Amino acid sequence: MSLFELPILSTLGPAAAGGCASGGCASGGCGTAPAERTSENSRREFLKTATTLTLGAMSLTLLPGVTAGDDLLPLPPHGGDGHAPAAKPMYGFLIDTTKCIGAGKCLTACRVENGVPDGQSRTWVERYVHYKDGRVEVDLVPETGYAESGEVQPAAEDVLRAYFVPKLCNQCVDAPCNQVCPVHASIKSPEGIELVDTDRCIGCGYCVQACPYGIRFMNHDTGVADKCNWCYHRVMRNEQPACVEACPTGARVFGRVDDPDSEISKRLATVPTNVLKQHLGTLPLTRYVGLTDEVT
Amino acid sequence: MTSFNDTRHLWALGAFLAAVGLVGMVVRREMVPDDFGTKGPYRASALDDIAAQPSLFQADATCHACHESVEHERAGKSHEAVRCAHCHGLAVDHVAMARRGADDPTVTLPPAAEWDGDFLTKADLYISKDRATCLSCHEAVVGMPADFKKIDVAVHLEEQGASEPLSRETCFECHGGHDTAP
Repeated sequence: MSLFELPILSTLGPAAAGGCASGGCASGGCGTAPAERTSENSRREFLKTATTLTLGAMSLTLLPGVTAGDDLLPLPPHGGDGHAPAAKPMYGFLIDTTKCIGAGKCLTACRVENGVPDGQSRTWVERYVHYKDGRVEVDLVPETGYAESGEVQPAAEDVLRAYFVPKLCNQCVDAPCNQVCPVHASIKSPEGIELVDTDRCIGCGYCVQACPYGIRFMNHDTGVADKCNWCYHRVMRNEQPACVEACPTGARVFGRVDDPDSEISKRLATVPTNVLKQHLGTLPLTRYVGLTDEVT
Repeated sequence: MTSFNDTRHLWALGAFLAAVGLVGMVVRREMVPDDFGTKGPYRASALDDIAAQPSLFQADATCHACHESVEHERAGKSHEAVRCAHCHGLAVDHVAMARRGADDPTVTLPPAAEWDGDFLTKADLYISKDRATCLSCHEAVVGMPADFKKIDVAVHLEEQGASEPLSRETCFECHGGHDTAP
């Protein structure tokens, strides 16, 4: 017995299709035997066809290559023979949380380099403090570091472990902020870097809400969207982004991932790395060393 | 069956739709940039606009081009990775004037300014022999990697037998700036 011959479907059929059981057709012309059979047959045909198409479409997703998306990093392939960099540069950013000392040098460098207004930031550094009693607290590194900032520090004997996590634009390959822009002011550059066309941006703020990482903000001075763009202007001159240039410990590494001889390629090849909020499927290019589950 | 004789209304409707379409085309031509879509779904010249932003944060190589002795002083030392800009500012004007001065002997460089205690200071070139500069990295803070050189000022000074009141330049009484070995 096939799915289409289940009794429930057969018994429901005439009553639902014929419409004559209630005595609504006194004059005849409806409810005759051939018409009823045709009606039932067409419904049965419809159900058959619809179910077949639905199941068929669903089964397609089981095939390799038709799935909704691969959650893994879209590491660009190395150029042809594995040595020559690909024609189009592909950049990557690596954050090593085991090296960050929370000095805040990157924050100052970014602010002066990009003229970011006070009270706003394109990049920041979070500190995660795991206490021995199980609490985990997160605070932001002051821009001049903790020294002489007057902030009360956790007592070292209460702390199980603690570490700093710098945050910046993840440069998602599938960027939600880019998709929601109504005026095409969000730009995915040919190098894969997400930019803001400040001349075109109307300041609606959709992208600020769309970014799952909270990177974008409305610039108080310009009134339009602003974000970390990996210092696109420096990268185009073969310079390092300002925060990378400023980092004294090498916690921030930037470079071409399509060049196997670059530092970032070597690090990516030897150190296990992770991305933030991988489950969202935005495919970030910014990768992290030493992420814990607490970091989102 | 009556014959259809209201064609005038159809003509009016057609003319109206044509006018709307024409206005739409004109507005679209005015609103959409000429180079829109040539590289992707965006204004292509925006890439050049953004790339034209000046680079302010100097790499150490810029400084070392003139200050070779400092480069040698720092080479291989623990502070080699500390950037010139951390203690001396961005020095954008300083570098620009120095480059002009390379061809024009009449250009003289002004002396470095006093640091005003602000890391975001607009002073072009400064020398910050201030403990805040050192401690911004080295003050012992929960969260630092185990192998980083951490300083608890009170403990450190006691270890060194210092009894003087803490001055702003106290670090430099024992340590150099470029070669920090005591």
